[in-house]
Amino acid sequence: MKQLIVSPAPHFHSGDSVRKNMLLVIIALLPAYAVSVWQFGWGALITTAISVAACVLFEWLIAKYILKQKSTIGDLSAVLTGLLLAFNLPSNLPWWIVIIGALVAIGVAKMSFGGLGQNIFNPALVGRVFLLISFPAQMTTWPVPQGFATSYVDAATGATPLAAMKEAIKSGEANVLSELPEMWDILIGKMGGSLGEVSALLLLAGGIFLIATRVITWHIPVSIMATVALFAAVTGWAGMLPESVCTGEYVMLSLCTGGMMLGAWFMATDYVTSPMSNWGKIIFGVGIGVIVMVIRTWGAYPEGMSFAILIMNACAPLLNLIRPKRFGEKKKA
Amino acid sequence: MKNKALNTVLNGILRENPVFALVLGMCPTLATTTSAINGMSMGLATTFVLICSNVVISLLKNLIPNKVRIPAFIVVIATFVTMVQLLMQAYLPAIYEVLGLFIPLIVVNCIVLGRAEAFAAKNNVGLSALDGLGMGLGFTLALTLIGAVRELLGTGCVFGLNLYSETYGMLIFVLAPGAFIVLGYLMALVQKLLKK
Amino acid sequence: MAKLQSSFKNMLLSLTLIALVAAAALAGVYMLTTAPIEEAKVAKQQSAIMQVLPEMEGITIAEAEEVNGITLHKAYVGEEWVGTAVEASTEGNMNMPFGGTFRLMVGFDNVGNVVRYVVLEQAETPGLGAQMSTWFCNPDKPKSNILGKNPATTNFSVSKDGGDIDAITASTITSRAFLEVVVKAYNGIAQQPMPIEAVSSATQLHEENVVVEEDTTGRKNCKERGRENCKERGRCKNNNVQEGGQQ
Repeated sequence: MKQLIVSPAPHFHSGDSVRKNMLLVIIALLPAYAVSVWQFGWGALITTAISVAACVLFEWLIAKYILKQKSTIGDLSAVLTGLLLAFNLPSNLPWWIVIIGALVAIGVAKMSFGGLGQNIFNPALVGRVFLLISFPAQMTTWPVPQGFATSYVDAATGATPLAAMKEAIKSGEANVLSELPEMWDILIGKMGGSLGEVSALLLLAGGIFLIATRVITWHIPVSIMATVALFAAVTGWAGMLPESVCTGEYVMLSLCTGGMMLGAWFMATDYVTSPMSNWGKIIFGVGIGVIVMVIRTWGAYPEGMSFAILIMNACAPLLNLIRPKRFGEKKKA
Repeated sequence: MKNKALNTVLNGILRENPVFALVLGMCPTLATTTSAINGMSMGLATTFVLICSNVVISLLKNLIPNKVRIPAFIVVIATFVTMVQLLMQAYLPAIYEVLGLFIPLIVVNCIVLGRAEAFAAKNNVGLSALDGLGMGLGFTLALTLIGAVRELLGTGCVFGLNLYSETYGMLIFVLAPGAFIVLGYLMALVQKLLKK
Repeated sequence: MAKLQSSFKNMLLSLTLIALVAAAALAGVYMLTTAPIEEAKVAKQQSAIMQVLPEMEGITIAEAEEVNGITLHKAYVGEEWVGTAVEASTEGNMNMPFGGTFRLMVGFDNVGNVVRYVVLEQAETPGLGAQMSTWFCNPDKPKSNILGKNPATTNFSVSKDGGDIDAITASTITSRAFLEVVVKAYNGIAQQPMPIEAVSSATQLHEENVVVEEDTTGRKNCKERGRENCKERGRCKNNNVQEGGQQ
């Protein structure tokens, strides 16, 4: 950690602002989004458009008519929430469900607590989990990527790699695994899943871009992924996997499928809902990693990234008790 | 005197509403309000217990030595709860099936013991009965309201009357998290209205 | 009257008195309600039995019989046997349901076709598994409707496992458990000395199923089978290259 430098005036503004950071995150998401549009076609475009528009509209309405304060839509945080919400939804979700999700994300999770900076939980994930529990059938019907030609509603659907994996672990039947896509397809995003979570490689690239531009630090994503890799490896060594899956393969699968990349790089690192100190961030990440793998291995749902992040969000205030030592402070005897 | 009686009843319904103002008895409030009719039945069962226990405790207040008042109150309350349970099982089996688990929990509902301790042990029989009635109605009203909102949002019905297609119902409101969300928003709304 | 002092004698007396009165009151209410509670229970079971049996005039139900944890209620019109209402639960199931156990009352006619069913008790997720009370009797969806079908001629397992019945959307686990209970109920009547022609073939069919399922769940040598499967699917290419260098 760099030392803080205290200097007399004159100071100048570094140009850092909420708006700039939000913009950088949106830019980092765009390459992965391009892949989603390529895989899921019109569905991806329409769902995203509805989600972003609804989030911005609800934020404006609530700020103006209920909270009666200055509108905050200019800082782009609502746009980012809308984008992340869409990234977490199946691309053929009916439009009215997307709007309900946006209302919950902005209205319940963000504005009820007082707007940006006050929310305990990540708004986009609250929206997603709300929809997952409310409309389980629609939220777990995943369109299969078919290239751009697909129309909005009539996409063919199939299981996600994680769902197939879970089935295989539970029943020990190896033939379920034939539904799994090839490793290369998993990396570039040719698999069933939420709209924006499929392209593992480009999400990783976006995350590295965010670290390079100092929007986020490495602590949370790296500790999440290290924990998940270790957990997956231990599961493999303990002999819990079906015979046809090699341990290394399972580790890769755990890291690259489901909401892992999107969650670790873009959702868990949300400033408002994650701890501030570096050690706090690492504990936060390890917690997410353990919870997500516990849910994936023994839980009722095939994927638990959103639940894991939300649970650790609730712990963030506690983890904020870990503070750097004050300058000149002496240890109590 | 008449004014005081009316005040006692209204107090329980509005200003000191057990759910929205005192935040007592959260377990049945959250668990049984999956529909308007369930919330109302639970509220009415609690009202019955509240009135009876308030009356009996107010009658017995001088017979019960101070040091053993809590066990004595609990025995009185538990007797009435068991009576409600048996009567419901016999004559309202359908509702009993839904609420079964929560009826015995009325014994430990803070409102019942709380009113016995705070009101019935200090006031005369008539006022105690009115207090039980007011608190009970306040509780019933709150539970029915929460139940109605949850039922409407979760399944599209209120009291079983279909208002819109079930396809649009948000299941989360029938489940536990929805209870917390609805309770929170209703509480905020009631507090805002009461302040005016 | 002045308030009683908290002396030992007073405390003992007042608590004893209150407890006695309470016990007496409860005993009275209990005696009053015992009969109606029994009646309500019986009425509930009777109505469930009548709901699932074929609609006929002058039906009488024989004494309940227990077979392997399954309760049979045989129905007669006069001397003629017309069907059976079977009460079965997920206890001892191979496919366990999602939330706790559930109990069904399934009605069969005298050749073993499912007439109707009622869910007596369940704890499945609302909107998902809980749909089973309507899902498997929807006349608009013939592929998921089990009414009128006979477990002897129809494969009562979900289509994902090669069966003939469509599972509830996003609730395969519940559907498997449900269908297993129905088959269990059917086996209950099939084991009875009854004039059902299809009995033998039915039990055979079920046994075959069981054998096949056991085969796939059995754990073979981890590595060998793993390799075979990997190769078949054309995955683990890297492994092969590393090991053999050519293929």
